[in-house]
Amino acid sequence: MSSSIPSVRSGVRRRARPDWFRAGLWVALLLALIVWSIPFLVMVFTSFKANADAAASAPWLPPSEWHVANYADAARTGRLATTAVNSLIVALVKVPIGLAVASAAAFALSRLPFRGSRVLLAVIVVGSMVPVQIALSPLFTEMLNLGLLNSLAGLVLPYLAFGIPYQIFILHGFFSAIPVELEEAARLDGASTFRIFWRICLPLAVPALGALFILDFVATWNEYAIAQTLLQSQSNWTIPLAVQGFSTQYSTNFGPLNAFIIMSVVPVLIVYLLFQRSFVSGAFAGAVKS
Amino acid sequence: MLRKFLATATAAVVLAVGLSGCSAAGANDDKTLVFWTVTQGDEQLPVLEDMIQRFEDAHPGVTVDLEQRSIDAHKDALRQVAGTGVGPDVYFYWEGSGLAGELVDAGLSADLTSYYNKYDWDDRFTSAALAGITQYGGHHGVPWTRQAMAVYYNKTLFKKAGIATEPTTYDELIADADALVDAGVTPIEVGGTVNWHIMRLLDSLVETECGATTATALFSGSASWADETCVTASYEQLKTWGDKYFNDGYLSMSNDDSSLLFFSGDAAMAIEGTWFDGTVVENGMDPNELGIFRFPTGTGRLSGFGEALYVNDASTKKDLAATFLDFVTSTPIQKDSVGTWASLSANKEVAAGTDNPLDALWEPFFTEADGVYNPADQSLSGEVTTEYWRIQNAVLTGEIAPADAGAQLQTFIDGSAK
Amino acid sequence: MTTLSPRRGAPSSYRPDARNGMLAVPYLVPALVLYVGFVLYPLVDTVRLSFFSWSGFRTRPQDFVGVDNYVRLFTADPVFWRAMLNSVLWVALSLLVPMLLSLVLALALNRRMVGRNVFRSIFYMPAVFASITVAAVWRWIYNPTMGALNQLLDHVGLGGLAHEWLGDPSIAIYSIFAASIWQAVGFGLVLFLAGLQQVQQELVDSARVDGANAWHVFRNVTLPALRPTTAVVVVLTVINSLKVYDLVVGMTGGGPVQSTQVLALWSVTQSFQNHNVGMGSAVAVVLLVISLSLVVPYLVWSLRDNK
Repeated sequence: MSSSIPSVRSGVRRRARPDWFRAGLWVALLLALIVWSIPFLVMVFTSFKANADAAASAPWLPPSEWHVANYADAARTGRLATTAVNSLIVALVKVPIGLAVASAAAFALSRLPFRGSRVLLAVIVVGSMVPVQIALSPLFTEMLNLGLLNSLAGLVLPYLAFGIPYQIFILHGFFSAIPVELEEAARLDGASTFRIFWRICLPLAVPALGALFILDFVATWNEYAIAQTLLQSQSNWTIPLAVQGFSTQYSTNFGPLNAFIIMSVVPVLIVYLLFQRSFVSGAFAGAVKS
Repeated sequence: MLRKFLATATAAVVLAVGLSGCSAAGANDDKTLVFWTVTQGDEQLPVLEDMIQRFEDAHPGVTVDLEQRSIDAHKDALRQVAGTGVGPDVYFYWEGSGLAGELVDAGLSADLTSYYNKYDWDDRFTSAALAGITQYGGHHGVPWTRQAMAVYYNKTLFKKAGIATEPTTYDELIADADALVDAGVTPIEVGGTVNWHIMRLLDSLVETECGATTATALFSGSASWADETCVTASYEQLKTWGDKYFNDGYLSMSNDDSSLLFFSGDAAMAIEGTWFDGTVVENGMDPNELGIFRFPTGTGRLSGFGEALYVNDASTKKDLAATFLDFVTSTPIQKDSVGTWASLSANKEVAAGTDNPLDALWEPFFTEADGVYNPADQSLSGEVTTEYWRIQNAVLTGEIAPADAGAQLQTFIDGSAK
Repeated sequence: MTTLSPRRGAPSSYRPDARNGMLAVPYLVPALVLYVGFVLYPLVDTVRLSFFSWSGFRTRPQDFVGVDNYVRLFTADPVFWRAMLNSVLWVALSLLVPMLLSLVLALALNRRMVGRNVFRSIFYMPAVFASITVAAVWRWIYNPTMGALNQLLDHVGLGGLAHEWLGDPSIAIYSIFAASIWQAVGFGLVLFLAGLQQVQQELVDSARVDGANAWHVFRNVTLPALRPTTAVVVVLTVINSLKVYDLVVGMTGGGPVQSTQVLALWSVTQSFQNHNVGMGSAVAVVLLVISLSLVVPYLVWSLRDNK
């Protein structure tokens, strides 16, 4: 936060300039905000326009008549209910399991170091940073051979595998910073390794776990490439596949198209607005060391 | 918080197992047929759903699960499921060697000869239709439509440009296009994002410039695109069309977008097939204001292809699939749906519909035709088709000179996996 | 703001211990099984497949062809170099545009003001959407006849500037990039904001007392203090640029004339659409090598910092 001490010291004359600057800055930010929001606005308006209205009126103008039927049409055509349930199942299964597996591994790598554990950490983390497209073709064949193609259960496995490395990286940082005295004291009391994990380390990492839960939930919900490769039946589709399907099949039904897009982002928006802090606490996204 | 995680996880796992059990059961039980096809138009979907409903009514306990995709997504999906157990039981596809042929090679189509014998299908379909089925040895697929493509035109716009008669030679067609430009009308609409829409014009240009024999040789690989001079001429003509006669911004548009121009009377011509008869009516045009003429290639061959319904070789419900196919191609069902997907049914006992005056225009095209030439993407392999489309678009944007296009294509064909 | 840094105290020292190895096994096994099974194994298989010729159909054989795929890729694949150029371009532009923009926004937002949280929320919001959804939204905005952009230009009298944003091969890739900025700025913004919070206020104050103006403060105090954050943002921006896929798929599919192809998409196109898994795998390996050569140095740097 910028300090205001200098201006108080130097009196009235110095105070005038920061106010103008600040006001101008605020206006500039507001303009930027408006420009930033135009896509949302256009989408919302178009989603309520009947096709003829969409063709006739400018996109940034509200509809002459709010054609709510677009939403029902889009939900039906795009099988929104089914795909939403699919996405929810996948996310609710994958995220908790992923966190559990990642915490255990991070714990082991940071609190139970052995020869090569740092190399192992490095190898694991590398995996989180390569584009998933590199592995898509063999992944398809592998899931096919396992009989898990076109199933939500089959989707969860690669999701876990690709999501865990990053979580291990973050949690490793957390666990590493836990004071060794805590652990030593617990061991003196006869605590087993598991107890140290469960009773000491995990509770201390709860803020990180909470934020990771939210971030991972959204990332899972939004994933496209792996889902598109592994899910063939439309009844198994997740939301991103449905959005792309709708966009290619009904590209000229502008009203329902925009309605579908909006409906597809509403769950993520709700999560975002409720848990904003977890997203914008940037220390997370980049693992910045403090 | 941890206990909450665990509780959520357990509940979710139970839920997941339960629900995935449900959906798996739904798709795998003996009484559900999974049917993949392309996205149906507003008038086509109710007809298809009605057929399905009547089939289900006639076979209690049986459900047909219909899945639609955009044309390109449909192709991608089927190519992906070849050799897996997760494909559909029945699917719609185009019969050409570059499309269905690849799927037959990949083991995605069951040989239906035993069903042909059982249901006497050899007697049901026209010989032209059956030719497309037997071209791979045995019987692959059941004919769904015989499609032909030609030029639809807006009579009012033609009159406005002072065009009195339909063009019968390529030069007349060019003269007509020029007349339309002079009258301030977009001569033809094409959608560039779906490469096969522009491809239709190029196919006809190759046919025109090269003649039937050479064109066939080029697409079947026995002639070289680098050696034939007519290839350069074809690409030069394509560039002319792109520069002078296409709708503005065609490269950004899908065929759905560009067709809007035809429907609204902003473009005079469109290269489409018999399915378009119904589409124009759906989109508010008066069929009496439209005409159709064959692209004046001068060869006597008709631009066309077949579409069929195939049975997945990996399907465990082939008998049920065959029953379904027998049902939907049967005379009563076909009579009720004639004109929905094509002007003529593949079922030889079904006469052309009389509802749409455009349907009647196709008959002479079929009877007078001296053979058929397929769209390029039905003759060329998937990989070559991708390159064919890239070159076609690159010629249009000026990135590749027409004189170089043939050589580039041939180089690619020579290097591609066989 | 949620405290995310762990409690202070003497960190555990790194004492590798064979006994730990035994204890660690049950904690590591699930993660390792998943990782090896569904990340490493496919990665290695991709490398293997790049030396084979295969159509991808399970019913067809895989033929060993040595380095043929690579030779063909570098000499005879008309699209590969375009895809490579686009990927490199994307990385360079991402470092220039969204990163600088997010830094500027972070500096602007790094002070008390009315509605600061609203600003931050809205600027970040696009980052929360699925990229495929952002693609669908912007595809609609770029629609040449009905889309907001051309209509807006027309409306304010700049109709001459209207373009086929996704249909002109010379600008399509930049149009897609512009859409990515909408998503990417928020990401850099929150990182820089967090980094700015770390800038010690005493340093800023003492610089001001010494008579430094805002620019000097920025150059001599803020910027150096932001170095660790900037390093993180740079690396993550680069990595995310190489991962571009959903946006291109959703907006153009790689066209027009394959002008918007990027390495990740060309690899998938070759394998799944063209049925040339060998070539697709070769492209994937190129992408893998590029990614690793950028990621490994960063990892070494950040893990060395850790202990």
